[in-house]
Amino acid sequence: MTKAVKGGSSLSRANQRRENIAGYLFMLPSLLFFLGFVIFPMGMGLFTSFFNYTMTDFTFVGLDNYRELIADPIFQKALVNTVVIVLVSVPVTCIFSLWVAAVIYRMHDRYTSLFRCIFYLPVVTGSVAVTVVWKWMFSPYTGILNYVFTNLGIISRNINWLGSADTALGCIILILLTTSVGQPIVLYVSALSNVDASLTEAAEVDGATNLQVFWKIKWPQIMPTTLYILVITTINSFQCFALIQLLTSGGPNNSTQTIMYYIYYNAFKLSRYGYGSAMGIVLAAIIAVFSALQFKLAKSDNG
Amino acid sequence: MSETVKATPHRFKKPRSGNQDRSVRRVTAFQVISVVLLIILALLFTFPLYWIITGSFKGPQAVNARIPVWFPTEPTLLNYQKLFEKPAFLWLFNTVFLCAASMAFTCVAASMGGYALAKKRFFGRTVIFSIFVCAMALPKQVILIPLLKEMAFLGLHNTLWSVILPTVGWPFGVFLMKQFSENIPGELLEAARIDGAGEVRTFTQIVLPMIKPGIGALAIFTFITAWNDYFLQLIMLNDTNVLTISLGIAKLQSELSTDYGLIMAGASLGSIPIITVFLMFQKFFTRGITMGAVKG
Amino acid sequence: MKKLFALVLCLALLVPAFALAQTEITLWTYPIGNWTDAETVDGIIANFNEKFPDIKVSVQYLDYTSGDDQVTTAIEAGTTPDIIMEGPERLVANWGAAGKMLDLSDLWTEESSADIAAAGATLKATCTGADGKLYLYPLCMTTHCMVIDRAAFEKAGALQYIDEENRTWTTEQFRSAMKALTDAGYLSGIVYCGGQGGDQGTRALVYNLYGAQFANAEHTAYTIGSEAGIKGLTLLQEMVNEGILTADPGIVAGDAIALFCNGTTATCFCWNASSAASNKATIAEGIEPLAMAFPSDDGVPVLDGGIWGFGLFDNGDEAKVAAAKEFIRFVCDDPQQGPKSVYATGFFPVRASFGDIYTGTEKAEYADYGVFMPYLGDIYQVTPGWAAQRTEWWNLLQRIFAGGDVTAEVAVYTENVNANIK
Repeated sequence: MTKAVKGGSSLSRANQRRENIAGYLFMLPSLLFFLGFVIFPMGMGLFTSFFNYTMTDFTFVGLDNYRELIADPIFQKALVNTVVIVLVSVPVTCIFSLWVAAVIYRMHDRYTSLFRCIFYLPVVTGSVAVTVVWKWMFSPYTGILNYVFTNLGIISRNINWLGSADTALGCIILILLTTSVGQPIVLYVSALSNVDASLTEAAEVDGATNLQVFWKIKWPQIMPTTLYILVITTINSFQCFALIQLLTSGGPNNSTQTIMYYIYYNAFKLSRYGYGSAMGIVLAAIIAVFSALQFKLAKSDNG
Repeated sequence: MSETVKATPHRFKKPRSGNQDRSVRRVTAFQVISVVLLIILALLFTFPLYWIITGSFKGPQAVNARIPVWFPTEPTLLNYQKLFEKPAFLWLFNTVFLCAASMAFTCVAASMGGYALAKKRFFGRTVIFSIFVCAMALPKQVILIPLLKEMAFLGLHNTLWSVILPTVGWPFGVFLMKQFSENIPGELLEAARIDGAGEVRTFTQIVLPMIKPGIGALAIFTFITAWNDYFLQLIMLNDTNVLTISLGIAKLQSELSTDYGLIMAGASLGSIPIITVFLMFQKFFTRGITMGAVKG
Repeated sequence: MKKLFALVLCLALLVPAFALAQTEITLWTYPIGNWTDAETVDGIIANFNEKFPDIKVSVQYLDYTSGDDQVTTAIEAGTTPDIIMEGPERLVANWGAAGKMLDLSDLWTEESSADIAAAGATLKATCTGADGKLYLYPLCMTTHCMVIDRAAFEKAGALQYIDEENRTWTTEQFRSAMKALTDAGYLSGIVYCGGQGGDQGTRALVYNLYGAQFANAEHTAYTIGSEAGIKGLTLLQEMVNEGILTADPGIVAGDAIALFCNGTTATCFCWNASSAASNKATIAEGIEPLAMAFPSDDGVPVLDGGIWGFGLFDNGDEAKVAAAKEFIRFVCDDPQQGPKSVYATGFFPVRASFGDIYTGTEKAEYADYGVFMPYLGDIYQVTPGWAAQRTEWWNLLQRIFAGGDVTAEVAVYTENVNANIK
């Protein structure tokens, strides 16, 4: 698409000038906001990451923050947890929503939209409202989950879901999943409905099985949607913060510590702004790598 | 004009005929199991909301009962009374204002910027676009401390603007609108230029009507994102009077951590309005979400 | 764009426009007794405005979970309040040491210093920073204790293990009582460690069991890594493993108190006169809260103390500072208002001259808590690195109750916390 525009760039000098001025004038509002509230703070973040910057101190320390970061066992744990959250929630979200979409897109319009609505509910309920109700449901004393599970005989005694290092991260991921499948389902339903019907029918006439039809015809056609879903889900999973802050504060024993929360924790509980900034920079780098990988993967799939 | 709009290659209506053909086909075991599973899952997905709403009408006994009270047999408004001792409506108003303002500014800035990136061959265009795309995946935590300092310097910390401005600056909107503006046929713009239409007129009379669906999508997107952006709100807003409803609920939660009745009342107040809007404009919502991704 | 700038400008202009009319000062208070309750605080401010009609006080209520973050953001953003109400661990050891607070030595007149010294000889030292400046002007103090449900103890036959008269028990008796409660089907008690909220309870529990000290007398080192401290932590770990005590890394003291009040647990390790008052309404039927000292091996407890009062943030506005000092003087020193301000906290006055403020009032039962005052121990919360220590503490408990080796985990804790002392 970009190339098409480039192709016709045999503008006269006066016209180019005009285009430049018009272009930048149109860009002005968004550029102002973008430079002012994204790029500038980002540059400052990079800058302060080389300082021992606390409530009382601001001295240049070079790469010390980064060195400390590499050796910080809690940061390592947070990094592992963050990656686990992303690696679990992204594929599960994609597969789950594709499955739901595949089941509901052929239904009568009314039911399709009903189910779409239901799976979208947690998104519009709001992250904080969803988080607090789950906290209650998980409660080891008055939570409904323990009651139901003990009565069904699944567990023998009340489990402290969020208070035990074995289950806490799983619970967080579960809640994250419920809030992240809504949008992908909507997207997949629409993508599947837009698959060229004549192609699938032709394949079926040729005796292809459902699975073959899916892999050979539908999957390639919904690939752009999948890529988009991968990207937004990855970003979402990296950004899950309210869940951690309101449910576990990173505990127990740092078992749900994520980089997101650890940055916040360092900045606002310990007032270590420089250290927090360094972590932010590392996180940004990691996310960039993840995004690039996904684009690469998706591209090679396409080719 | 109208023909070109129709010609844009997005299809949201399902191909009706094909759809109905399928519904009469044989039903496989896989489909039956899937549907049963789906219904169970749907119940599980609605349950938290059910629990929020019923919980908000439960008295302290019912909330703390070790055997859960599935339905409030003695509904009480006590929780809501307690909730409205706090400025809960103000929080709600703040949230709506914050989301609406973010939405309005984002739409204006992004549609202009997106159009320029797609159709104006100005110097540095590719570089700017690449930077926008790279910044898109950036988590806000990365810039949190400098942003806080910046807002303090501008005297905006603890005002709703400190949340609105960074939201507007977020590059996703420009990216989205650029993708939409790509579909505007170049001939149309050329024709307008030959007719003597200035840049502004071309934009308002030709471009805007054509990217209107895109703006709708972006509006919804921004609104929901702003509503759910707990993190930025948490950092920027302190005063009881500038809290959003999300922060308000979180505050109730940390103040009275086990008064779940009251917390659920807060959660109801925070979610019912947006759910209602969502159910009323459901088609619009799903269309917006889909359109956001069509060119993703 | 123009509109936006106009809006921003308007907003920026509005703020000072309001301030011009009178001196406006802001007060942030942590939940200290009824100082969380707008009705009470508004009453106090109304009294103040009768005398000083030109000073407008606006209040913001903080909680212990997010309050610190709020203050930190405000410090970074330069939007701190004029007055803040809390104790020395924040005002002196944290923000004072960071140079964010103002010296209040002019409030400590000869009269007030003498009056406060009469109530506690070391109080003034506690309000003094390492640099010799007085960052806190105190209003009230108390001891933190724990609470048991007398009815549950009676049913479980555990009353034999407590000295109801003196509200004390020994470590051995504590263990037996917890076992009796568990055997009778009660959830005996929860060692909460989900965060720093109410950690004075878990600290006092641990250091009392075998007479350990949390910090040394000079406040230069944290000393729970002593033999006695390790012994106490080991005992708790054993009791949890045995199932006669519960550890919950998912909750903090507030939750534990709520669980006690609704009858889920039979004891709670966080309690004081003020919690008794503020939870009165939520206590379920049949529960008889009885405040107790923490169990100790010799039966003579040492209790954590709290002092609360006011500090001023350095916002560089002389007029506001003067107004804020007027407010503090009025609230703490005024012979009529002073006792009322203390009464609102539910704690005990730091001024000996106020005397007994509870007998004969609605809060008569508060006088009861006076029984614990003699056990008041050293206020060690001003040891440097306090804020970081608090995090390390609940993390230590989480590690221990997750099955960690006590000696090794305490060593990690000790190294981390003492590294923060500069």
